[in-house]
Amino acid sequence: MARYFLGVDIGSLTTKVVLVNKNGDMVARATGRSGYSGRNVANRLSNGLLEEKKLAPKDIAAAVATGYGRVTFPADREVSEITCQAKGIAHLFAGAGTVIDIGGQDSKVIRLLPGGKVIDFAMNDKCAAGTGRFLEVMAAALELEIQELGPLAARAREHCAISSFCTVFAESEVISHVSAGAPKADIVAGVCDSVAARVASMTSRTGLEPEVVFTGGVARNSGVVNALAKQLGCRLSVPEEPEITAALGAALFARDNAD
Amino acid sequence: MAEKRKYLPLASTKHLEKMMTRHYALSRYHRLWGKPLKRPLAWITSGAPVELLRAFNIHPVYPENYGAICGTRRVSAKLCQVAEAAGYSQDLCSYARTHIGSILRPDLAPMGGLPKPPDLLVCCNNICGTVLKWYEALARIFQVPLLVLDTPYLPARLTDHTKEYVLAQFEQMVVDLERLTGRRLNRRELAEQLARSSQAIALWKEIREFCKTSPSPLNAPDLFIHMAPIVTLRGTQQAVDYYRRLKEEVNRRVRQRQGAVDGEKIRLVWDNIAIWYRIFGFFKMFSERGACFVTDTYSGGWVMELPSGDPLESMAITYTEIFLNRSPDFRAEQMINLIKEYNADGFVMHSNRSCKPYSLIQEVIRRRVTRETGVPGLVVEADMADERVYAEEPIRNRVQAFLETVGGI
Repeated sequence: MARYFLGVDIGSLTTKVVLVNKNGDMVARATGRSGYSGRNVANRLSNGLLEEKKLAPKDIAAAVATGYGRVTFPADREVSEITCQAKGIAHLFAGAGTVIDIGGQDSKVIRLLPGGKVIDFAMNDKCAAGTGRFLEVMAAALELEIQELGPLAARAREHCAISSFCTVFAESEVISHVSAGAPKADIVAGVCDSVAARVASMTSRTGLEPEVVFTGGVARNSGVVNALAKQLGCRLSVPEEPEITAALGAALFARDNAD
Repeated sequence: MAEKRKYLPLASTKHLEKMMTRHYALSRYHRLWGKPLKRPLAWITSGAPVELLRAFNIHPVYPENYGAICGTRRVSAKLCQVAEAAGYSQDLCSYARTHIGSILRPDLAPMGGLPKPPDLLVCCNNICGTVLKWYEALARIFQVPLLVLDTPYLPARLTDHTKEYVLAQFEQMVVDLERLTGRRLNRRELAEQLARSSQAIALWKEIREFCKTSPSPLNAPDLFIHMAPIVTLRGTQQAVDYYRRLKEEVNRRVRQRQGAVDGEKIRLVWDNIAIWYRIFGFFKMFSERGACFVTDTYSGGWVMELPSGDPLESMAITYTEIFLNRSPDFRAEQMINLIKEYNADGFVMHSNRSCKPYSLIQEVIRRRVTRETGVPGLVVEADMADERVYAEEPIRNRVQAFLETVGGI
């Protein structure tokens, strides 16, 4: 009988599910908006994975949940997303020394050892500046889709300065740049710089050890990737699917646990 | 994984409650007995030289302790809003805002606020600079004398020059208190006050040192609750008697190998003032995973041994050398020593929005301590009394990740 392991990451904005086999290879994954009930979304997504792979619930030997909704999901255990993120990244990037993760409502820097043991971490506190939510608010203010931010930032001639640390005040800054007639591309580049600056300052708390891997949904935004690489003065590796790595780590914990 | 773990209450707690209730009840009716007994009422800061005031038969009460009580009863946020509406900034210390709020709206304040008006105010800036402005505001509100003891910040060791500067202020304070009370300083009485303080301090130290054993007989909430007498009743016989009782009980726990946290797996050190409005809930996040806070820098701050010799000089030294008045290096070394002596696996720093001198340099200290001990440290952002600053879910997240780092998963 095939034995599979499920990792569920119920984040503030997005829910991610990953299925691995007993060798730890990712065999399926899915993502969806968490919405009101991340738990229902997680159930729907994992049932979808089972269907896709023609598996029955009994084929899942163990499940681990992580992310903000972790306690709501009936998993075998719950593990914090910091520990899961490190586990997932150590699996994909054997030489990773630092993970920078920017998700919907959190941004964090994790220092890890080979094998994924966390040695230190720093997170944003009670503030959405420097997170995916910040970018969503700014995109809305500029009437842009979130996916448009990266390509647009690349076309900036001058970067507008967004100095406020507060999402609400930063939105007002963006609006005043708009009314001053600044090109959208320049404003977007400023927004990306602002997120990067916020996260870069967190690395001074933990230190920065190469290889540096950038994860979370925001790692799909090339504007932030470039701004962050420039501010940190180092190369950033981005996983192919940067938002699912914590769910992958959770699935790997499920596998370890069942051993 | 979280499990249900029993919390082991101390039998001494009910004696503590009785003693503190009595202290506050007595204070509340000060207006009835203060004048006939010629015992003026003073509001004083937690780092003020209370022994000198007691030698003058002054009855001291502590607005900071009152702030902690309001925090524990979860009324601080409301009182802070009252102070904010009166124009005090939200960035000010929440003890100060709570206390000022309780003066403006006694109907919202536990026990109707502290007894007032005070006959005098005594402020020592060894704990922070905020107390100066806070007490100046109080002096304006009540139009009463304010005595200030200025203890210069110590970047390194206490110099003779600093000691003489503080000693001169003590001598002036004696003159001022003689004038205000109409009494001469009784030097023998002062020596006795200091002796009783020293006894209580020695007992508090011994009690704390019992926690070097594993499992630790006490957890942080125990330390925070049972520190009340060393702050507010230091110098009294009651405090000495109480700590004798507590010492016996804690010693009994050690002999019976009874831990405060069932199945202690992780030993931690705490830095900064308690999160009063979540005093049990916050630490439960740790204790349910087998983590015990075996010591802390905060309630340990009152283990300030008074050197023998001239009482005024002894106080000048002790009250200037308080840890909050010292360099980041001193503070880092203190944390490093606690980790070694108490065999700790990690440390948690409460970045307390209210308490700037305590919190601002924590990140520097954290890095040095981890570098030198190899032990990880977590910073959580909160406030000692104003619960509007506390965000449970992000904190739970960090705490869980930290305990997975320290204890494995």
